[in-house]
Amino acid sequence: MFVKVGSIIAAVLAWLGLSFLFPETILPGPFQTTMVLAENFANGDIFQHLFATLGRVIGGLALAMAIGIPVGVIMGVNRFAEKTLDIWVMVALTVPSLCYAIFAFIWIGLNETAAIVAIGLTSAPSIAINLWEGVKNIDTRLFKMAKVFNASRWVIIRRVLFPQVLPYIMASLRFGLGIVWKITVLVELLGRPDGVGFELFYWYQLANMQQVLAWTLLFTIVMLFIELVILQNMERKLFSWRPKVKI
Amino acid sequence: MDKGISIKGLVKEYPGHRKGERGHRVLNGLDLSIADNEFVCILGPSGCGKSTLLNTLSGLDNDYSGEVSFGGRPVGRNGKPPVKMGYLFQDPRLLPWLTAERNVDFVLENSDVPKARWAEIKNHYFALTGLEAFRHHYPHELSGGMAQRLSLVRALAIEPDVLFMDEPFSGLDELTARRMRVDLLDIWSRTGKTILFITHNSYEATFLADRVVVLSQGNIREEIRVEVPRPRDYDDPALFDISKQVSANFIAAAEEAERARLEQQAG
Repeated sequence: MFVKVGSIIAAVLAWLGLSFLFPETILPGPFQTTMVLAENFANGDIFQHLFATLGRVIGGLALAMAIGIPVGVIMGVNRFAEKTLDIWVMVALTVPSLCYAIFAFIWIGLNETAAIVAIGLTSAPSIAINLWEGVKNIDTRLFKMAKVFNASRWVIIRRVLFPQVLPYIMASLRFGLGIVWKITVLVELLGRPDGVGFELFYWYQLANMQQVLAWTLLFTIVMLFIELVILQNMERKLFSWRPKVKI
Repeated sequence: MDKGISIKGLVKEYPGHRKGERGHRVLNGLDLSIADNEFVCILGPSGCGKSTLLNTLSGLDNDYSGEVSFGGRPVGRNGKPPVKMGYLFQDPRLLPWLTAERNVDFVLENSDVPKARWAEIKNHYFALTGLEAFRHHYPHELSGGMAQRLSLVRALAIEPDVLFMDEPFSGLDELTARRMRVDLLDIWSRTGKTILFITHNSYEATFLADRVVVLSQGNIREEIRVEVPRPRDYDDPALFDISKQVSANFIAAAEEAERARLEQQAG
């Protein structure tokens, strides 16, 4: 904890130092950036943009998980599915996220659905690959144990398979979030009238670096909060049975 | 209720990997009957069909031919024995995300033991195996010996009629294994179960069993009765003498297996 706080302070100081070397229009300092951010808060519409973006992040992530988890699990369990799908998962992973966004906006229209479809499709392949690798590590000897002790197929799925897949689902949730929010701002820049990505693009066009940095800072803080506070605590509670790794 | 096991003409064959390749017969018309409450140890070299025998009897594998019945009743269509069965594997096979006690609950939930008796049963076996203080520990917090004792608790908790044990003590250090063997006999003498115990260790087999069955090439090579009264002393010289006879058979079976393997390789 002490080290983390120290490194944050060091980073802010470095930012401050660098900002003296450049004009304000290129690199505003931490103080000015925070001031701009505070003004944005006072103006009020910051929440509208932030929530619009968060909604897309959640919607896109949900779609990505809904596609990626079943595909990954089936690929890990069934060899035929693995052979049929692995090339397509690789293709889907290779297509640039910009292409998904363009396809979605042209085929579905410039609307919310298209944005979420673009986000979901871009991140689904990574989640599928994550799950696929994970399911391969499942301990099948435990299924035999459950079987000789009379567990039904449903009990085996729910109480022996699912707990083993859950860590990989959680890992892919965190991993997926990291991808999804980066795509979301890109999708917003391309085809939405609000959200953090739209704001970033707007201020970029006006060459206002103070606003660009202010929005970047805000979004990063919100995402780090979700990642470090919410998801990590959830994992700690879910997987308290795991051996603690001492470093 | 009769808990004996009767096996008649049991054949298990694995198909060849490639087309036209001869299948491999693991069990070759095995006949064996095990009396109610009898403790039988099966001994034999790797590949003699020991584990296959347990797999077919326990219903994990029901692709075989021959007749298997428990207490006179044949196995069901799903291959499951018509009696209650407990199983001890070579490794503990505990669910790592459940505490010791919850691991036992897991099998109780899938059994017909009424919930009202769970607490009493668990208290009894946790005390008997010295795991009382570890009820709320997770499997990774237990030593190898403790984890295997927990899996013994799990197998006994459902009050099985038949207990299958697949080299359960082979992964333990000798001192722990020795204590577990003595404990197992003690529990068996008090609860009464038909036990089929697979091992590689001829002294272990002799100490535990009423009868040691040596398998070779998927069939019985020799049956040796251990006529030493119980309770037995682990260091009884009479057991050593019988164990020598068991060992000699075991070694001969291993040599036969090696010869057969070489012949098959030669074509």
